[in-house]
Amino acid sequence: MSLKYVEEFRDGELARQLVKKICRISKKDLRLMEVCGTHTMSIFRHGIRSVLPRGITLLSGPGCPVCVTAQKDIDAYVAFAQRKEVIVTTFGDLMKVPGSNSTLSREKADGADVRMVYSIFDALNIAKENPKKEVVFCAVGFETTIPTIAAAILTAKAQGVENFSIYSANKLTPPALAALMEADGVKIDGFILPGHVSVITGTQAYRQTFETYDIPSVITGFEPVDILQSVLLLVEQNETNCPALVNAYPRAVSDSGNVKAKTIMNQVFEIADAVWRGIGEIPNSGMVLKKEFQAFDGAKKFDMNMPDVPEPKGCACGEILMGLKTPDQCRLYKKACTPMSPVGPCMVSSEGACAAYYKYS
Amino acid sequence: MKNDDKVLLDHGSGGKVSHAMFSDLILPLFDNPELSKQDDGAVFDVVQGKMAFSTDSYVVDPIFFPGGNIGDLAVNGTVNDVAMCGAHPLYISVGLIIEEGLAVGDLKIILESMAMAAKKAGVKIVTGDTKVVPRGKADKIFINTSGVGVIPQGVDVSGNQAKAGDKIIVSGSIADHGITILSEREGLKFDSDIKTDSAPLNHMVKDILNSGCKVHVLRDPTRGGLGTTLNEIAAQSNVGIRLYEDKLSVKGAVQGICELLGFDPLYIANEGKLIAFVPQADADRVLEVIRASEFGQDAVIVGEVTDQDPGRVVLETLIGGTRIVDMLTGEQLPRIC
Repeated sequence: MSLKYVEEFRDGELARQLVKKICRISKKDLRLMEVCGTHTMSIFRHGIRSVLPRGITLLSGPGCPVCVTAQKDIDAYVAFAQRKEVIVTTFGDLMKVPGSNSTLSREKADGADVRMVYSIFDALNIAKENPKKEVVFCAVGFETTIPTIAAAILTAKAQGVENFSIYSANKLTPPALAALMEADGVKIDGFILPGHVSVITGTQAYRQTFETYDIPSVITGFEPVDILQSVLLLVEQNETNCPALVNAYPRAVSDSGNVKAKTIMNQVFEIADAVWRGIGEIPNSGMVLKKEFQAFDGAKKFDMNMPDVPEPKGCACGEILMGLKTPDQCRLYKKACTPMSPVGPCMVSSEGACAAYYKYS
Repeated sequence: MKNDDKVLLDHGSGGKVSHAMFSDLILPLFDNPELSKQDDGAVFDVVQGKMAFSTDSYVVDPIFFPGGNIGDLAVNGTVNDVAMCGAHPLYISVGLIIEEGLAVGDLKIILESMAMAAKKAGVKIVTGDTKVVPRGKADKIFINTSGVGVIPQGVDVSGNQAKAGDKIIVSGSIADHGITILSEREGLKFDSDIKTDSAPLNHMVKDILNSGCKVHVLRDPTRGGLGTTLNEIAAQSNVGIRLYEDKLSVKGAVQGICELLGFDPLYIANEGKLIAFVPQADADRVLEVIRASEFGQDAVIVGEVTDQDPGRVVLETLIGGTRIVDMLTGEQLPRIC
């Protein structure tokens, strides 16, 4: 596995030149939001905040799939784990996310069959190997992972795997950007748009949002040079009052995105309203299984209608996700809420803003 | 016992079958005068001065992995723990907890690896114990090893001895062992040649201590990785630590897998690397000594001790920024995207 292609984008000298240029042209105070958990981690990990001018604030938006998963959905995953006949399969991030009364980790320690997988196809294989059990996959994610989930559903249907289902908390990114721009009190001067998601959606997915709100927007990769370049572009656009939608990640993102992945995704899923943790319901921002695939819908199969639950008292994850607060402005931060004992998902997910603040600053 | 036999509960009963397993399988491999006496414990002469004593338990899954297995890991691990106290490890005890049904062939491979590792480290396995537990009550095999060693006159290394100005040397690339195990455990089919770095470091430590150079701290950054270990030392010595990202050595494949899964190599386990805190005046000489060792050819100075921010580890990143390196909190879990 070669990282040469990555190393170019970690070039210290190139990064320093970009920082100098940003410092030279930056005059206005700006609030720039990254809408991807991997960007959040990369910004902290490479110490990018420490080299930018004081007037530039980087905010972590609703880009960590775990952070935006509604508490009732986490409760549903816990409820599945409590059923003896069910094997719950999940990506690692979800294991420690607190529901109202428990976590998947705690249920596992209590004897539940909860298995961490790296791909939904691993979950499908577990279903084939355990025909007497029901295997439920916790489908949490954005456009990056939804096509793979769709492909697994198609495979399960073709192979007649009947003991396999998903509980979908999948979400779409562009509607969340629009919701942020409409929300009271939110002030964002530019978006650092997600690289992974954009590989699937393509640049065109953001065009409507950009045209409606005329806000500087740059699609970018995850290496420090990528991120600094996107900051430079956003600063330039703000300083010259010339907002633009720029694809600064052309080595991975095209205008139309991954058409095949989108076709599979739309074959299996349809758009629906979805509840985002801390933000509330955003119209047309979720993806649920189409009628013909409802045999694979765990919520229907197990009649799993979880009640809405209030978020933990004092938890500011919602305001943090909307850029209204930074983690250190939450009164639970580093007190009641730490990675060892997280209250909100922004602290539990490795890509959450609070976890990044806690770990790196 | 034939290689294709299974270990049965009888093998741990203390009766004839247990004795046969010890006599036929274990004793010939670990043979030495202290063990051969077959008393309840090992008897050996003590020396004047200081001794170091350490114990660790090995519950790794899978038990076989590229570059080693649970057996040599268990010997090397305890040899290194004793060596990091500045001691020459001499004797080791071995406690085997075997799950009923383990293939005798697998047990034999593990025991042979332990014998070879002990020989390479120059330590004797002088006492031990074997238990067999019913199927499902353990995961194939657990091994506990304890070791004792002698600390030479004048040697005083400890995690509380780091001083401002010390240079920090790491004996090679980081995260090799943890990523090897993770790749095997989770069945991730990466096309790479990574293997564990498990190795006995006691000879390297001996060379360092014999070089006449002053050494303040020796530590092997196992679970929790380099990041956690440096935090422990910063807290123990109440000093600040500054690391340089461009000096840290991470193999390409290891870095790639970390990127893919969202892991930070600073928190991934190592089993054949040491960290040495050395006064600046002796740093280059110690580096030479480590590089001359079989297991230290890629050693580098990765940072230094400061009197700023006591208890904190700060990383200077490739782009010239800084960030805190905190202690690992909980297990690293793979990310969603």
